[in-house]
Order: sequence, then structure tokens, then C-alpha cells
Amino acid sequence: MGVKGLNQLIKEHSPQSFKEFQLKNLFGRKVAIDASMCLYQFLIAVRQSDGQQLTNEDGETTSHLLGLFYRTIRLVENNIKPVYVFDGKPPVLKGGELEKRLLKREEAQKQIDAIKDTGTVAEVMKFEKRLVRVSREQNDEAKKLLELMGIPYVEAPCEAEAQCAELARGGKVFAAASEDMDTLCYEPPYLLRHLTFAEARKMPIDQITYSEAIEGLGLTKDEFIDMCILLGCDYCETIKGVGPVTAFKLIKEHGSIDKIVEWVESNPEKTKYKIPENWPYDEARQLFKKPEVTRAQDVSLKWKEPNIDGLIEYMVQGKGFSEDRIRSGAEKLKKGLKSGIQGRLDGFFLVVPSNKPKDNKRKLDAKDTKAKRGKKK
Amino acid sequence: MLEGKFDESTLLKKIVDSIKDVVKLCNFNCTEHGITVQAVDDSRVLLVSLLVGQTAFSDYRCDRDVTLGIDLDSFSKIIKSANNEDYLTLLAEDSPDSVMTIFEDKKKERVSEYSLKLMNIDSEFLKIDDMEYDTVITMPSAEFAKIVRDLKNLSESLNIIVTKDSVKFSSDGEVGSGSIVLKPYTDMDRPEESINVHLDNPVDLTFGLKYLSDIIKATGLAGTITIKLADKTPALFEYKLDVGGYLRFYLAPKFDEDE
Repeated sequence: MGVKGLNQLIKEHSPQSFKEFQLKNLFGRKVAIDASMCLYQFLIAVRQSDGQQLTNEDGETTSHLLGLFYRTIRLVENNIKPVYVFDGKPPVLKGGELEKRLLKREEAQKQIDAIKDTGTVAEVMKFEKRLVRVSREQNDEAKKLLELMGIPYVEAPCEAEAQCAELARGGKVFAAASEDMDTLCYEPPYLLRHLTFAEARKMPIDQITYSEAIEGLGLTKDEFIDMCILLGCDYCETIKGVGPVTAFKLIKEHGSIDKIVEWVESNPEKTKYKIPENWPYDEARQLFKKPEVTRAQDVSLKWKEPNIDGLIEYMVQGKGFSEDRIRSGAEKLKKGLKSGIQGRLDGFFLVVPSNKPKDNKRKLDAKDTKAKRGKKK
Repeated sequence: MLEGKFDESTLLKKIVDSIKDVVKLCNFNCTEHGITVQAVDDSRVLLVSLLVGQTAFSDYRCDRDVTLGIDLDSFSKIIKSANNEDYLTLLAEDSPDSVMTIFEDKKKERVSEYSLKLMNIDSEFLKIDDMEYDTVITMPSAEFAKIVRDLKNLSESLNIIVTKDSVKFSSDGEVGSGSIVLKPYTDMDRPEESINVHLDNPVDLTFGLKYLSDIIKATGLAGTITIKLADKTPALFEYKLDVGGYLRFYLAPKFDEDE
């Protein structure tokens, strides 16, 4: 999962596309969040002190609901309007990847069985986390909770990331939020990372501007997608031995995977690379270029007042949460919804990027390093 | 070479204190006419625009345009060490790595010198065109500061409604609500105490009190504040420096739900 090394490549070649800031700077923005990804995170991360998942009296897991409830409130409190996007059916090509994940889970289960009696708690826990997957019921519970909270959600026909990007492209939301760098292949204007991380981790939000990212890399949209496929996506294998640096170089040199394949096959003596047999890279490419999504203009998003009675019935009576906490959470949702939206100056004034004279550049760079050094001390 | 000498250090102290909570790093652009600063806060809601005219200095020369990228927190610590009546001189080379600040005591022969390393600050510039405003209010700066402080206790937003014969500031919060109504008023003996309202069109605007609280930190710079408002447009809050120049704040308003 996730395109390997893409983050690093973008940071290196187009640092200007990368912005870090605090959550509060996103006020007034609407964002589309990849729900499946963040529920998975909650199941992994929201744990009791002994490492067990949170459960209600009947032993049903509630980690995902707790995470969703509080992190969503935190967004709303910061005047951000989230919309969650759930995965639909996986594309056929993802079958291979999904099978791999299933195998990994089975493997982890075997490991647990093997060390259950002898291993330490920490060891068992390590493998147990690998077993985690978001079940259909948990997805449905999350949807029910969102509905009660008055937060909209969208069911993607296929991949959630693609739908998030479509909503952002269509202007329904400001940005797509996902941890998965794959999302960039669907051309969202902005990609946000770390949006649903715990506040305690103090992780700043990363914002990646798509247009600046590919401009900095010096790639076209098609070349960028091809490079991501080389780096490793969920849909097909990669060429063995080709890492981020080589992939970038190969694309720069040849322009597309077709040309790379041609080159490798016509020069077998010059290269050690082996093209995978029946490599469905073109199908993968099509999935990125023409993903199955609901068009943004056909989606309507409404943020409503939370249904407090409903929340209490579901969360307190059904899932064993404390009534006080749910009530105060619902109050915060209500308040966040009511306060007006703070405007931004860039909507009124033209932003002129600073362009310093070229001949000056070296001197400024030198100064920059000096200044940084000075600060570190 | 830049050399600018202030007769008293307090002016620069007050200026830096009034903007350092809005922006941490900013470029001081020095030209033969004086020093200008334009900087926006991280979230691009509040913009600071400063002009310290040549007349504000007792001695001023700037042969070539110089940009000083300054970390305001550090700079403020340095200039705080000057006594208020000290002469304060800023010195920089034509393509400087650092800026020198010199304080001279007027009676004793004490001279203090501080050097601050400069930074390369990549700041975006917002192009501000002259705008037509619906309403221009001039009032004592201390009175405006008090209104902001008082109403901040109640809510996060301040609503300003200007009609033909009054200006109403109000805020509405969970615990309660409050409002202050001002009418135009002329004080012949102390004109700076007057409240002047020039109205072309009535306005009704809401601003974040968090940002207004940052703006009123400049109260000490001028006896009066000029507020220019227009519907659905950033407001301009201006403190004019007696000695020449100004400190302006542009603040984006809050909107109701956009759908």
C-alpha cells in the first residue's frame, strides 16, 4: 500500500509543493477524507493501555467509533468541514494485492498461534496488529455514527482515494485527505496527510500541491502516473531492482513504461532488469487515469446539526460510551457548525510569488544556510 | 549602505511589538524613502503593511535598496535592551548577512552594539489595489482597543454595523451578549478624541476577535485609528505615525454559511 519513495522524491525535487502547517490553518476548508484508511488507523492506534482494542460490554470493538467521533470533532472545532469517503468494490486488478494482504494476515495468525504460549505480550501484539482489517460491519457502524453526527459521507463506486480526488477536482472540497500517496495519481489539486492523526502526536499537516509537485519533478501527468506504477501501486507488480531513484531516472530518460519495456527488451545485454510477464501496467494506468467515480457535480454535501438523542441512544446505550462525553462532543459539533467562516485575504488580493533576481540567487542561498546554522545554535 | 537613526528607540520598539504576534519572520525593505514591511499571517487572514518614512528618522541614508530578513522574536529581544530615550541606529551593508543595531545613551557616553543574523525569507506578496470603501470611521485608538477587549470576553466574533447616525459593535456568545453604540462626536479642544463617521453605504460586517486583539497591540503608536469598511471585503485598520508613515492592517471578514 502506498507508492514507495514518492514522498521523498517529491520532497527532494519540488520542495515548494510541500507545505507543513498546523491544523488550525485549515479553517473554513472542506476536505474529503479516505474513510477506510482512517478507520484502519483507528483500529490500529486507538488502544487501551494494555494494548487491547476498546470494546463495549459485549466485547464488540469500538476503537474505530471512538477515533471517528473525537477526531471528527477536532476537525469541526477547527472550523474544518470533513466529508468521509468509503471504498466501494475493489477494482479487479487489486485482486492480487488483496490476496497478498490476506496471505499476510493468515501468516500473522499462524505466528500468533505459534508463539501464543511462549511469546511475550508485546510480541503477540505485534502480530495481532497485522491481523487488523476493517470489517463490513465496522464500516456500517462508522456510517451510522457519521449520519447521527450530521457529517456527510460518500460511498465511492470503487476506490475511495479516487473519489476524494474527484470531489477536490470538482471544487466540492478543497483537498483530498489520505495517507496514501497513490492519491496523487488521481490529480487532486491538494493532498493532505496526517489530518486524522491524534493531537497528542503533534504531527503537522502536510499539504502537497499536485501541480507544483509534477512541475518540480519535471514530469507530465502521464509520466507521473507511469512513475508511480514503477514505484509500486496496489494494482500490479514492479520491475525487480527498480527503486525510487532508478524509476525517476528511467521515466526521465524514456518518457513512458512502454518505451522502457521496449528499451529493456531490445537491449537485454545492457541491463539487468526483467520485465514481469503479462505485466498489466496499461490497465493499472487506466485505473488511475479514468477511475470509476461518481462525478463531483452529482454529489451533494450537507453538514447538519447532530442528532443528540440518536447519538446517545447509539453510542451510550449501544456502544457503552459515557453520556457526558457524547453530550459535550455533540455540543462542540453544534458550535463548530454555527460560527461563521473566516475569510482569507488571498480571495481578495492577488498573490504575487516572490521572484528574486537570478544573479542574486547564490548569495541568498549562502545566506540561507548561514541563517539556518545561526538559528540552530 | 543603510543607516537609519531614530531619535528615540521607543518608536521601533512599539512597531515591532505590534506586529511580532502576527508574523514571526518578515522582510524589511529599505529604500531611499524609508522602510516598508508587508507580511501576512500563516493562515492569510491578517496582513500587516508598514511604512516608516524617512522623516521618522533623525538621520537616514540608504544608497541602494536593501532587504533585511528579520526574525522578529530575536529582534524584539535585542531592541528591548535599549532604554526608551536612547538613540537607536540601524546599520547594514549593501548585501548584508546581518544587521547592526546601536543604542546610544543621550547623557552618558554608553554605546551598545548588537548584531542580528539575517534570514532569507521567502514571502509571498499580496497586491493591494486602492479600494472604494463604504464607510470610514476615525476614532480614538484607545477607545477602539477597549471595545475589542471588552467584547472579546463574550464571544469569538465582533459584529460592526454602521448606519447613518451610529456605529454599533456587538458580540453574541454562549454566556451572553453585549453591544456598544457610538455616535459621531466632535471635541473642539482635543480633536483626537472626536469620532468621525463618513458613510456612503451602510455596512454590516463580522470579524474574528482573535485577529482584532492582535491589531490593537498597535494602539500605542497613534492616538487615533482609521477604520475603512466595505461589504464582503477586507477591512483596513490604520494607525498613522505622527513622524511620517503608517501601520496598516488588512483583515478578512467572517462569512455566514456560503451555501
